[in-house]
Amino acid sequence: MIELIVSLIAITLQTSTPLLLASIGECIVERGGILNLGIEGAMLIGAFTGFIGAYFTKNLLIGLLSSIIGGIIIVLIFGFLVIKMNLDQVISALAINLLSYGICIYFFRMIFSQGSFPYLSELFSPIPIPFLSEIPIIGAILFNQTIFVYIALIIIPILHYLMFKTRYGLSLRAIGENPSIAYRLGINVSEIRYIALIIEGALVGMAGGAICLSMFNVFDTRITAAKGFIAVSIVILGRWNPIGVLGGALLFGFAEALSLWVGTLIIGPISASISQLLSILPYLVTIIALLIGGRKAKGPASLGASFSRE
Amino acid sequence: MSSLKLLGLYRALFAIILTFLITSIFFIMSNTNPILAYYYIFVGAFGNINLIIETFVRATPILIISLGLAISFRCKVWNIGAEGQLYMGAMLGTITAIVLGESYFTFPIAFIMSLIGGALWASIPAFMKSKLGINEVITTFLMNFISINFIQWLLAFPFKSPETLFPESDRIPNSSILPILIPYTRMHLGIIIAFLLILPLIHFIITKTTFGFKLKAIGENPEAARYAGIDVEKILFLALVISGALAGMAGFIEVAGIQFRMRPTISPGYGYTGIVIALLGQNNPIGIALASIFIAAIINGSSTMSRMLNQPQGIVDFIQGLLIIFVLASDYILKYMSRRGLIKL
Repeated sequence: MIELIVSLIAITLQTSTPLLLASIGECIVERGGILNLGIEGAMLIGAFTGFIGAYFTKNLLIGLLSSIIGGIIIVLIFGFLVIKMNLDQVISALAINLLSYGICIYFFRMIFSQGSFPYLSELFSPIPIPFLSEIPIIGAILFNQTIFVYIALIIIPILHYLMFKTRYGLSLRAIGENPSIAYRLGINVSEIRYIALIIEGALVGMAGGAICLSMFNVFDTRITAAKGFIAVSIVILGRWNPIGVLGGALLFGFAEALSLWVGTLIIGPISASISQLLSILPYLVTIIALLIGGRKAKGPASLGASFSRE
Repeated sequence: MSSLKLLGLYRALFAIILTFLITSIFFIMSNTNPILAYYYIFVGAFGNINLIIETFVRATPILIISLGLAISFRCKVWNIGAEGQLYMGAMLGTITAIVLGESYFTFPIAFIMSLIGGALWASIPAFMKSKLGINEVITTFLMNFISINFIQWLLAFPFKSPETLFPESDRIPNSSILPILIPYTRMHLGIIIAFLLILPLIHFIITKTTFGFKLKAIGENPEAARYAGIDVEKILFLALVISGALAGMAGFIEVAGIQFRMRPTISPGYGYTGIVIALLGQNNPIGIALASIFIAAIINGSSTMSRMLNQPQGIVDFIQGLLIIFVLASDYILKYMSRRGLIKL
């Protein structure tokens, strides 16, 4: 029984990781007043470029790097639409999501001919940390994970520091509250926002890479399955705070892990039926959580509003 | 035609031209003559009377969906859950038709139930938006996954037809099937319902009713609308629910006109295509009707083109993605070009 629970928690960490990476990135950008609902598409592109990179070089680290670059490019296109062109953030994000989907589905079949099923021969395997991974129970959960889990766990305190203890973080939060005043105080609004978007792009792209390079070894346009939108919900429920975001990501990762885990436990004729029904669980949990916890959520004051210097 | 309407048309045409230019680059990169590619797309969509009918068959569900989306987009409610609402409407309509069996009132009741199915499904995010202030983009999108996964389960287990090997429902009774208007084609009554009934109706609602006026007022400035005494929350709720009802209707018309069974593959992303069409048509019913025929032509034509020129199938989605970006960016690009003296506005 203990082994089962340990495996459930270990799966939870794995399924939480893409959510954690994406939502921490979204948290930074939203602190600067930009609502980026296009991370669903950026994550998909990250998975796609990560897959392509790893497939052709047979090197997973290059795959990871290309997923980061893919994510940054897509998020920067979004940044160009909303910062430079000053377009509505929500429609721009919808456009980015549809474009990303179109790019993936078209270029995947342009690169690999119709009917072929390319797959990666290896995935990122867990890296046991010497000594620590041998601690009973906790060792197997925390210290025998893939590179993505470690990156996600390390990045939380770093970004928390960046947001609350640095001059950059102060400027970012000032912009999030009121970009006009921040601008008049001499803060370069566009530059600060672009930097936040680049950080987000890297993290969201990496989240896509984590799905493609450590969980599945194939690419499919359904691979992200609304994880970007769940990540945005996590930011709301985590009240725009990295620590809250960590809690939220673990909760939703648990819902996803549970739906996978219960499906493997049940055997017999009803197992297919039960696991299909359980695939709803992560989405249902998100909606219910928003219904309960989204009510009095107050984000940065200028979140989603457009800003131009004129 | 007023200059403002003309501007909308220019915007759409500009986006279409830019999109075709970009896709041409990729055609050339894959050793395909772009002119030949567009020729096959055109022939595949309008080459003979049967192909023209097929284009209208394709345009029907996406027209109904995007007309509904126009209502919600007009007051800046971004319903991206039409896909899930379509499935809910189609499923509820199908179950109703099967339960009622052969009778005169099977079709009308099933039809109304499909509207209710879509509306009820949309009412959850509508409630969360208007009462709790929760972003509808997140909730409508997440609910697509609940709806579609749940319906896949319904069709694989409780409602699976024993007659077939696939996860699909029983055939709906003949009396609930939309009649074919031209023999040996798929020209069904639903096409007429969409273009000659729903289209004028939505046009009337948007341009001639106080509800339509309120949508516009809220879209332009919600605070001013509230100040003018409009119950903003109520209108936002209604707009989302109406767009859900229309998506549900589109789903059932697809069942009753084309598929005759509820299937998990009933919509290849029509709910998302509807977003592109509503934006390309600038939330204007006439623009949307033209845009839905245009996109339907591209969907049908590009499958012919893919077969003839051995091109990947996903080009449609790529074109839609580019179109929506360029529609949004068109004002900026046109202004930029006129500032540089490249064009005169």
